[in-house]
Amino acid sequence: MLYRDALNLALDYAMEHDPRVVVLGEDVGFYGGNYRVTDGLYVKYGPKRVIDTPIAENSIVGTAIGMALMGLRPVAEIMTVNFAMLAMDQFVNQMAKLRYMSGGKLFLPLVVRMPQGVAKQLASQHSQSLEHFFASVPGLYVFCASDSISAYHGLLHAIRMDDPVVFLEHTLLYGMDFPFEYVKNFDPFKARILKEGKDITVVSYLKMVHDTLKACEWLEERDGISCEVIDLTSLRPIDFETIYESVRKTHRLVVVYEAPKTLGLGAEVSARISEELFYYLDAPPLRIAGEEVPIPYNRKLELRAIPTPEKIYERILSWSKSHGL
Amino acid sequence: MSQTLTEKFYYLMKLGREFEIRCKEEYLKGNISGFLHLAIGEEAVHVGAVVGFGKGDLFCPYREHVLALARGIDPKLIMAELFGKATGVSKGKGGSMHLYEPKMDFYGGNAIVAAHLPHAVGAAYARKLMGEKAGVLCIFGDGATNNGTFFEAINMASLWEVPVLFLCENNYYAIGTHVSRSSALRDLYLKARDYMPAEVVDGMDVFAVYEAVVRAKQYIEEYGKPYFIEAHTYRFEGHSMADKGDYRSPRELEMFRKRDPIDLLLKKAYKEGWLTEEQVRLIDQKVEAVVEEAVEFALSSPEPSEEELYTDLYCGVCSDVIP
Amino acid sequence: MNGYLAGAKAMDYEVLMPQFSDTMERGKIVRWLKKEGDYVEKGEVIAEIEAEKAVMELQSFKRGTIKRILVSEGQEVEVGKPIAIMELGERIEKPKVEEKPKLEEKPKVEEKKPPPPPKETEKRIELPPGFASPYARLLAKEKGIDLKELQEEGRLPSPTHAKDIEEFEKERYFTPKALELLREYELSLEDLLKEFPNKKIDEDLLLAYVEQKGIPRRVPVSSVQKSLISNLSKSFVVPHYHIYEVFDLSLVPWDKEITLTHWLIKVVGDAMQFFERLRAVYREDHYLIYPNSNVGLAMAVGDELYNPVIKEVNRKSLREIAQEVRELRKRAEEGRLSLEDIRGATLTISNLGMFGIRAFDAVIPYGQVCIIAVGMQEGDGKTHMTFTFDHRVINGFHGALFVKHLKERVLDKNYIKMLKKGA
Repeated sequence: MLYRDALNLALDYAMEHDPRVVVLGEDVGFYGGNYRVTDGLYVKYGPKRVIDTPIAENSIVGTAIGMALMGLRPVAEIMTVNFAMLAMDQFVNQMAKLRYMSGGKLFLPLVVRMPQGVAKQLASQHSQSLEHFFASVPGLYVFCASDSISAYHGLLHAIRMDDPVVFLEHTLLYGMDFPFEYVKNFDPFKARILKEGKDITVVSYLKMVHDTLKACEWLEERDGISCEVIDLTSLRPIDFETIYESVRKTHRLVVVYEAPKTLGLGAEVSARISEELFYYLDAPPLRIAGEEVPIPYNRKLELRAIPTPEKIYERILSWSKSHGL
Repeated sequence: MSQTLTEKFYYLMKLGREFEIRCKEEYLKGNISGFLHLAIGEEAVHVGAVVGFGKGDLFCPYREHVLALARGIDPKLIMAELFGKATGVSKGKGGSMHLYEPKMDFYGGNAIVAAHLPHAVGAAYARKLMGEKAGVLCIFGDGATNNGTFFEAINMASLWEVPVLFLCENNYYAIGTHVSRSSALRDLYLKARDYMPAEVVDGMDVFAVYEAVVRAKQYIEEYGKPYFIEAHTYRFEGHSMADKGDYRSPRELEMFRKRDPIDLLLKKAYKEGWLTEEQVRLIDQKVEAVVEEAVEFALSSPEPSEEELYTDLYCGVCSDVIP
Repeated sequence: MNGYLAGAKAMDYEVLMPQFSDTMERGKIVRWLKKEGDYVEKGEVIAEIEAEKAVMELQSFKRGTIKRILVSEGQEVEVGKPIAIMELGERIEKPKVEEKPKLEEKPKVEEKKPPPPPKETEKRIELPPGFASPYARLLAKEKGIDLKELQEEGRLPSPTHAKDIEEFEKERYFTPKALELLREYELSLEDLLKEFPNKKIDEDLLLAYVEQKGIPRRVPVSSVQKSLISNLSKSFVVPHYHIYEVFDLSLVPWDKEITLTHWLIKVVGDAMQFFERLRAVYREDHYLIYPNSNVGLAMAVGDELYNPVIKEVNRKSLREIAQEVRELRKRAEEGRLSLEDIRGATLTISNLGMFGIRAFDAVIPYGQVCIIAVGMQEGDGKTHMTFTFDHRVINGFHGALFVKHLKERVLDKNYIKMLKKGA
């Protein structure tokens, strides 16, 4: 099933069973969604539950908060994470803190969905990966999905939760076809081991997971290095237990992420593993991430700014060799 | 205007006044810390609006003590919250700017200027969707009307036709900036006039405020569309305890003190015979007692425990409506 | 007449599948609004293309005549690929209608991206003695190894990693032969060290251990075997049937030079000339019938099974066939069989008679239409032969006729004499 169809299915299912679920965002209704994720919902549920908003990101999230306070379960869409910058006050000062500041009196059962990441030559203001901005705020939950199964089940779980969830998707994943099946008791808080291995633990999420799997295929075929690939479906909180268990087995950690390296999510995972499993490590943890630049328009430069399967393969290989694997 | 209503007004306004004065005292004693925004001088707007609006959700900014009192939240709990005690409205985790009581439809206190306006719009949308007509009262200051979010909210409220009463309390100052230096349109209600019915009201006259709000509420309930009221008022103290307010001329202060809302209320009440001096005295005594009780309660309440640092972050509940 | 400016040449212009959105990778032609020979102005809509759930109009960027349409309605191609050819310029009177040859549809091969070429990878980090990874230290402590001492002696590198300790242990406790066995049987180093503490483990000890524990040996599947397996799986779905007959081969004068198998190849090859379906390849809506008889021979070399082809059997003499078979065997033994050597047969002969097998049936090799399983020739010349036919190409009637023909052939004295003379 296509990734965007999985999201669509989840929204449809939720809206059908719970009349309190509403969808709002720019062009989500009549137009069917800029990435077609909300296609068909307007026709099925009407303009009262599938709301087209003006271009006012701060108020999109703001009104969603207001609705949530009253007991509705809004699923707001911000067209891309880049535009979310206009709503950061609502995310960080309001959504994350209202419950805490009220001593637990307020409930905010809302979800804000956004795609992020580099697509194809959309230039710096449309190509950012900002998951660490949201994942660093206490009071929010941050989920992400790398394929159709985690997209469907993750989004549904986020809607069911009575706490605020930021649900991150990736622009390039929308049109990709992934195997799909219904999974009982899908737990987004548990990271998924997509490939078992014994030499290196590689942690990744969103689109980088697929690039990582490709690189690990080459590492296995060509160099006999067996990697265990872990896909994070929750970025706040991160399932460290699964990562610990894996590193206890492999003694080596690599984190692959699209955002610039400094102060990104990989920094957190690296630091945490170093703190908890220092004596189990056979090599310093490696982070493979984006360059410290805004993403340029030129295609060649654009590809240089983010990790690619070739880069991941080469970096893991040279890191292994220099640290005695 | 009935006698009971006037009594109610006087009680609430006097309570608000004394409460705020006492807060100032406690702040200087060190029992209250951080930000303290006093509403002394603005009681007419706060009390008149809350009483006039009646049933409905209330969203307001950080200058909220009198609003909370007018809503009926127990002064003991408010004072305890200011003292940071575990028995406070928000268990001591919110403070002066973050009082919330959803059971009384009071959605408090927001420290970010204009941030709560879209909340009010969303809440009104939700209420309308759920078939409830009561509407939402959204109060904010003059400074908020220059913020982008304000314009977004006005537009969306008008576009979606949601039952919100936008009540702007224009006390002419956003901390130290006079409204003429920050707003191109001096008459703030003009910013909304093209989107919804908008009027101006004398915010020092509680009866005028009350009547305007009641009219607006009727409109909102009947048509389910937004309404805008600008109430001219004045704060006698600085913006907060950290601000002396000395950017205002003594002459201006003098001029507005002559229009102290409580004095105006009493003048009219005596003239119309709605209140007697005896009643007033009784109410004064009562107010004194209530405020004293509140402080006692706050002083004797326990601090929150260490574990409370980590609670109330998430509720951890999953709805089972969706199978 | 053409209206071209003097000296200007008519140019062929490729209309490419456009990229309507940045995530679009392929598009489908929903409808051609112009046909071959039509003249189009710049900006005219020439086709409707569907991509990513939306139907877009394709406008012509140039002025000219549609010369040839390359991708038909309903077909999907990648962005950037040509979909039509236009002849640029003014309207031409007589549109050139060329008889376009049928484009061979290339099967969609899943592009397996190869890994990047190996670069000069980083060398190991080298530090003075005393450094080791935290985990290596833990291991060293457990095993009672003095890291610093061994590093100074040069027996361990610095910094030491877990793998270095593993290598050290292997060298210390295992003979080279034992190490080989360790790899072959995929045994756990740790388990063995625990089983035989402080002991030098040699080959015999390991073999005894393996036998005692009943541990299996892992044999990798060779690539030859892998492709055979893949082809067999494909053969399995072909609807087929068997005809089993007893042939009288007493008249066939085979010897060591020209064996029975060679004779059978020739006779079958000649017979195939009378039955065109046996020279056919199945292609869903048509058969491709080859003029000559290409016969495959099942050949076992070592552990592997090969199926080389003797082409144009009908045109070759017995001697030539025998020679070719010997050459093919030689090439197979040396692992030098080329793609040409194993492609092109429509029928295969498999002979297990030399192993004393009386009768058996075989699986039609993928892409062929018949296999003949030949058993042992008994004293009186009687040989059991089982024919397996692809029912989609050769029905029972034709199959029976072919078998009957063959039966008669091997008893035809004149024919056999002719073959022997021409050999």
